[in-house]
This record gives sequence, C-alpha cells and structure tokens, in this order.
Amino acid sequence: MTTAEKPGSIVWRRRREAVAKRWHEFTTNKAGVFGLAFLGLLTLLAILAPVISDESGLDVTKAHGGSLNPPSGEFWLGTDIDGRSVLLMTFWGARISLLVGFSAAFLSVLIGTIIGIAAAHFGGWLSGLLLRFTDFFLVLPSLVLAVALASVLEQGAMTVIVAIGVTAWPSTARLVRAQTLTIEGRPYIERAKALGGGHLHIVGKHVLPGVMPLVLANTTLVVGNAVIADATLAFLGVGNPNTVSWGAMLQTALNNGAISKGAWWNLLPPGVAIVVVVLAFTLVGRALETVLNPRLKGQHS
Amino acid sequence: MSPLLELKNLGVTYATGSGEVAAVRGVDLVLEPGDTLGVAGESGSGKSTVAMSVLRLLPRSAKVSGEILLDGEDVTAMKWGRLRAVRWAEASVVFQGAMHALNPVRKIGEQIAEPIRLHPPGGKALSDGEIQAKVTELLEQVDLPPGRAGAYPHELSGGQKQRVMIAMALACSPRLIIADEPTTALDVVVQAQVLDLLGRLVAEQGIGLIMISHDLSVLAATCRRIAVMYDGEIVEERPSAELMSAPHHEHSKALAAAFPTVGDPVSRFAPATSTPLPPEPERSADQPALLEAEDLRVSFRDRSGKRIDAVAGVSLQVRKDEIVALVGQSGSGKTTLARTLLGLQKPDSGAVRYDGKPVPLGGAGLKAYRRQVQLVLQDPTSALNPNHTVYEAVAEGPRIHGMGANEHEIVVKALEAAELRPAEKFLDRLPHELSGGQRQRVVIAGALALDPGVIVADEPVASLDASVRGEILALLLRLRRELGLAGLVITHDLGLAWNIADRVAVMYRGELVEVGTVEEVLLDPKHDYTKSLLAALPGGTARETPIAAHSHRRGV
Repeated sequence: MTTAEKPGSIVWRRRREAVAKRWHEFTTNKAGVFGLAFLGLLTLLAILAPVISDESGLDVTKAHGGSLNPPSGEFWLGTDIDGRSVLLMTFWGARISLLVGFSAAFLSVLIGTIIGIAAAHFGGWLSGLLLRFTDFFLVLPSLVLAVALASVLEQGAMTVIVAIGVTAWPSTARLVRAQTLTIEGRPYIERAKALGGGHLHIVGKHVLPGVMPLVLANTTLVVGNAVIADATLAFLGVGNPNTVSWGAMLQTALNNGAISKGAWWNLLPPGVAIVVVVLAFTLVGRALETVLNPRLKGQHS
Repeated sequence: MSPLLELKNLGVTYATGSGEVAAVRGVDLVLEPGDTLGVAGESGSGKSTVAMSVLRLLPRSAKVSGEILLDGEDVTAMKWGRLRAVRWAEASVVFQGAMHALNPVRKIGEQIAEPIRLHPPGGKALSDGEIQAKVTELLEQVDLPPGRAGAYPHELSGGQKQRVMIAMALACSPRLIIADEPTTALDVVVQAQVLDLLGRLVAEQGIGLIMISHDLSVLAATCRRIAVMYDGEIVEERPSAELMSAPHHEHSKALAAAFPTVGDPVSRFAPATSTPLPPEPERSADQPALLEAEDLRVSFRDRSGKRIDAVAGVSLQVRKDEIVALVGQSGSGKTTLARTLLGLQKPDSGAVRYDGKPVPLGGAGLKAYRRQVQLVLQDPTSALNPNHTVYEAVAEGPRIHGMGANEHEIVVKALEAAELRPAEKFLDRLPHELSGGQRQRVVIAGALALDPGVIVADEPVASLDASVRGEILALLLRLRRELGLAGLVITHDLGLAWNIADRVAVMYRGELVEVGTVEEVLLDPKHDYTKSLLAALPGGTARETPIAAHSHRRGV
C-alpha cells in the first residue's frame, strides 16, 4: 500500500477483494454454479422472449395447431386445447413466473428486513408489538390470505406480487431479527455506543452490513417459494386469466380435460419448469448460505 | 520402578491448509508417581497439545512422533481397546472451562457416575447402590454436599462446577491427573479454593498431577516443578520456588514479571515492558474530580421479579492525571458501575458528574459527553467489527462526531499514540490479521481518536497473553504520564492495580468497601473482603500482612 492511497479507496478495494473471495468460494460449489448459470440463461431468454419468438402464437384466435395434438416436428411439445404451442406457452410463462417471483421476494424481504431489524434493535414495547404482529402473520394460512387479497384487489400481476409479498415476510423477519440480536450482543456494538453512535450509525454501519449476506441468501430461497405461490394462485384461478403462466397452463389442462385424454404434454412442461426453476433457486440459495454463513462451512469440508 | 509418565522426544505437527506446522518439538518430561508438574506458556506455545497427547486426545490432523510412556507402556502404540481402558482409569483430565465441559441436561451425579460405569473397578459392573455410594464419597472429597448430586450444572456456581470436574477426574482413582487451565475462568477467591483442593487431593492420594496454566504463580502454588514452554519447546524446567525467584530463560522472566507480586516495590508503576517508561511528571496532589459518581444506584430485576442492587450507593471520584483501579469479584457490580458512568445504563438514583457538571441522560449532551469518556473493552477480538479495517475502526468515533476533513491525520495520530508504528502499515488490516495485543491497541486508538479526558477500561488485559499484558498496561501508564489521561481500570487482578494504579476502590456486592491509595489498601487492608482478596493471591504478597500469611490460606 502506498501512503498516497485515499482511505475511501482502501475500503472499496477491501470490499472488492471480499466479494472476489466469496465469488471464488461460491464457484467451488458445483450445484450452486449450475443453478446460477441456469437461472442466468433463463432470465436472459425470458427478457429476450419478444425478440426471439412470436407473441401472436399465444393468441387463441390466431392459433393454427389442432386441439391437443401430441408433440410433432412443428410443435415440439404438442399443442393445448386451443391449438397453441405448449413450448411457446411454457417459454412465455417463465417471464411472468420470474417477474412475480423476483418482485414478490423483493417486497417480502424488504418488509421482513425492516421489521426484523426494528424489532431487534429498539426492544421494549415496540419490539413486543412488532413480534406479535409477525406472529399474527406467521400463523395466518398465507395461501388463504393471498387468495383473499388477490380477490379483493383488482386482477393483474401486481396484485399477485402484493398478495405474495405481504404474506411471505414473517419468516424473513424472524431470521433477520435473530441475526440482528446476535450482532447487537457483540461488544463492538457497545463500543460504538460508547463512541457516541446513535441508532442510525449502529444499524447502518454494523447491523445492516452484518445481516445483508444472510438476507441475500434468504432472498434466493424466498424467490423459489414465490414462484410456487404464484403458480398456486394462478392454478386456483386468482390473477389475470389472460396472461400465460405455468399455473394457468396447469389449470387449463385440468379444466379442459387434457388429463383425462392422456395429453401429458399439457401437464409435464409447466410442472417440470416450476420444479427446475425452484430447484435452481434453492441450489443457489444453499450455496450462498454456505459461503456467507461461516457456521455452515464445517459440514462441507 | 519406572516413572509414572515419561515423554521422550515428543513432537506433534498439525497438517493445515498451508503445510505442516510443528506445535511441539523435542519435548522430554518425566513425572514420578505422586509428583506435581506445572507446564507454563502462552497461547500457542504447545502446552495444551503436550497434555492432550498423553491420552491421544488430539485432533485427527495431528501427527505424533517420539514416545509417550505411561507406566512404561507406549501410548502411541496402544490399540483402541487398551487406550480406552487407560483413559480415565489410569489418567484423567480436568478440562478448561467447566461450564462447557459439563452436559447441561444431565444431573451432575449421573455425570460423575459415567466414568465409573464405563470403567468399573476390577472389571465387574457395580450395582446402582455402590455407584451412588461412590458418587457421594467423591462429592465429599471435593467439599460439595452429597445432596448436590441431583443438581443440574446451571444450578452450580463456577467454582462448584470446577469441583464437579475434579470429582469426575477422580472417579476411577487414576494415577495421573492432567488439569488444563483449571482455574482460568474463576475468581481469585474461588481460584484459591480450587487450587487448594486440587493440591490437597493429589497429596493425600499420591496422584501424579500435570497442571497447565499461563500464570506462573498459580502453578507455583500447586506444583513442585515447573516447565516453561515457548514455541513448542521446553525452555526451562526447574523446581517452582527456584524458577519463580530466579528465572533463567528470557521467556520465563517475561512470564514471571507479567504477574507481579503485590507489595514488591520493583513492580510498582513498572509493568513488564520492553520500552522504558517516561518519568513521572509533576503532579499536583490536589486535583479536582474529573469523573465523579455520587450515591449511584442501579438495580435489576431477576427472573422471579426480585430487585437486585447491582450498584448500591457508590460514590467514586476519578481525578485528572490518575489511574483508579476498581477491583472486585465477578458479580460485584463493577461492570454495571462502569456502564453507568459511561451513560450506557441509566441509574435508578444518584448522579454522574463530569468536570463538575451532571451528565445528561440523552440527546446531544450525552453524545458530547461520550467524546470525553471512552471505553476499552475486555476482549479486543469481539470489540472490533470483523469486517472493518483498522482505519474504519479508529475513524468510527471521529465520523460519529463529525470531526471533519483531517480524519486521516487524526487516525494516524491515534494509532501512533497507541504505539502501532508505523501507523500506515496497519491502516488497511482487518482485525483477524492482527495479534491480540495489536487489536487491543486498535481499540485504545479508537478511544484516543476522540481525545478523551478519561478512559474506562473493563479488564483490558484479561484476555491477553502474559507478555502482551505488561505492554498494554505500560501503554495506559504512559498515556497518563504523557497526555494526562485519567483512567478507571476495572479488574479482578490486584497485581494490575499494583502495576499501574494510583488509587484502588474495592467493590463488594454493589458497594465500595474500601477506597484509598494503592499502598494503603493493598499493603494495609482494613476491610475483611480486601483481606480475603489479598489472601487468595496464589503468589501471596511481598509484605505479609498477618491475615494474608500462607498459614491462613486454607481457611479462605
């Protein structure tokens, strides 16, 4: 190090090194890398969907395939009851699934983090109130609540995001609260207080950087859950029936007798897609947890 | 007759990620039956590795070379079945930290009975009644009422738990006991009791004892001979009294000097340091009080809702240019008092004054006050955020108080004042890259960066190695002499008070029972509690006061 280096740049160099080190650790986890690569590819394809495929194929009025045709050269995964390509629908379903998954997870993690840190940091009656509030949401059957919310709000992707977001946060809040309590119990918090640091300083400088890694790992797991919740809600008929989503595809397959006619190609593609996407998120989440939470490391070495 | 234990050219290497590390090299030791041997050394000197190798309790990554002869039989060549029989029946261990070595969900009676069940004497299993009788006998031997057999570990005090550990070690009537830092976490008074007990049992039953400690005076109080380890080798091995009075090796000298004898004029205002101290500046005897507590009361509610007075009416002054040592056992309320002085704990009644003005309880006034009075914590490892560099840790205070543009200059100056030179070399280090002593210096630099008037240090050297201890104490003394920085040092260690303090306040059950100059209080104690604290010092005091004489130690 040269004396000319500015303190700020020292900090940034440190952070870059820390990120590089963690990335290196992450790459040693093959399952995690596989999951991340898969998700990266899927996200890219989902974003590029309007460019590389023709959206008009999703329109029932413009569909030109026969009803429930098995996989063929033209339709690789067959057609649905309306004669649309199942492959195209599954492909476009990824868009809505990922959008809802990421947004709902972001919303629930945001709520959970704020409530978790507040409950642990301030203590006293506020903590008690927030914890009871969390417990209340924790014991509510979240699916029923989400269905109720989605049916009173207007239909659309936004509604599904809000419905999942406001029901999925309690577990994140609990996790963040526990981690915050651990950090707040460390003597360096006492030192920061003795130095004169206020709430903002302690939360901003010590608590938040300390809980962020866990929150990040948790987020990837929450995204997986949100994808499932989205599919479930769509399957139950909540949400916009005009958008193509995996849950809605399954519902159509069930309601229109695709199952009784043995049209497995209507069921398997969206079902497998859900499983694979959730699995990928879980793999990445577990790998991140192992990298970021030192307590889990021993089990793998 | 062959010796009880003989180590011949013992070497232990650990396989780590970056190659092999030799923890122990060429150690030769002999222990005759009934003999007592102390092994002294700092953390990392290999002393625990030597002890654990005797029963092959080392981790898998350890490679042992040389011979370990227990009663003439080589432990390293033993089959598992034989080793299992030898463990506990012939040699047993008193582990460090009794609170973690006992199973919290089982009654202590069952835990003492466990080795008896596993290693029944004479090879045949005992009936429950016989085991019960044996447990009762063992509890009596360690001065615990037999009724306590039904207690769970959390219902016992630290000293009682350590007694249970000793009872467990004695359970199968072994011929060798290895005690690994048996008193480290204990108070002076309790420590004296446990050492006394251990020494007595070993003498009565003719058991060989190997005791490991970083504190030479503890070993000298119990063991006939002491071996000093440094960097994996034994550098000196001689009878205790001889080694204590005239250590040969540099490292033994450092260990002996680190724990001064109270009353020894050589160590007064002279902590063990390699750099000379500045001379005592002119001090006017009659300074006004800088930090003052007046009839301070703090109480907590315990789980049953009963009020407990942690601090019960304490009045204490810290004047400019002086170091006050606040001594007392754990649980005496000294840390609560310090937290209250710093405004981290609200008092129930009474007042804290700084420079004659009452300290505000909140808001900008409290923040401004915190610039004046700074805290140094016991364990520097946990007092620093592991993700913050030295620069960030030291700059934290100045940033909070918006001390502005010349932050870099302030940080460098604070680090230099805390004797981390050259400061530039340390700026971008993370805490885990520093040694324990350097970390504590960073914490002190963080306090100095705010240019405070008083430093409150809570056991500042309790978690540091002996050689670093003297240096940190010397730093505090130097800061007082050079910058006029007043200090309130909280400690259970009377030697520390003798080393650097001007005045001593003795705290007992939330009250100050004796306050006065170091000489007054430590050489001529008035209160019974002070006397018992002094009497419990394993090394004794240089000028024996009647009650502190060795003949009375048993009665403590």
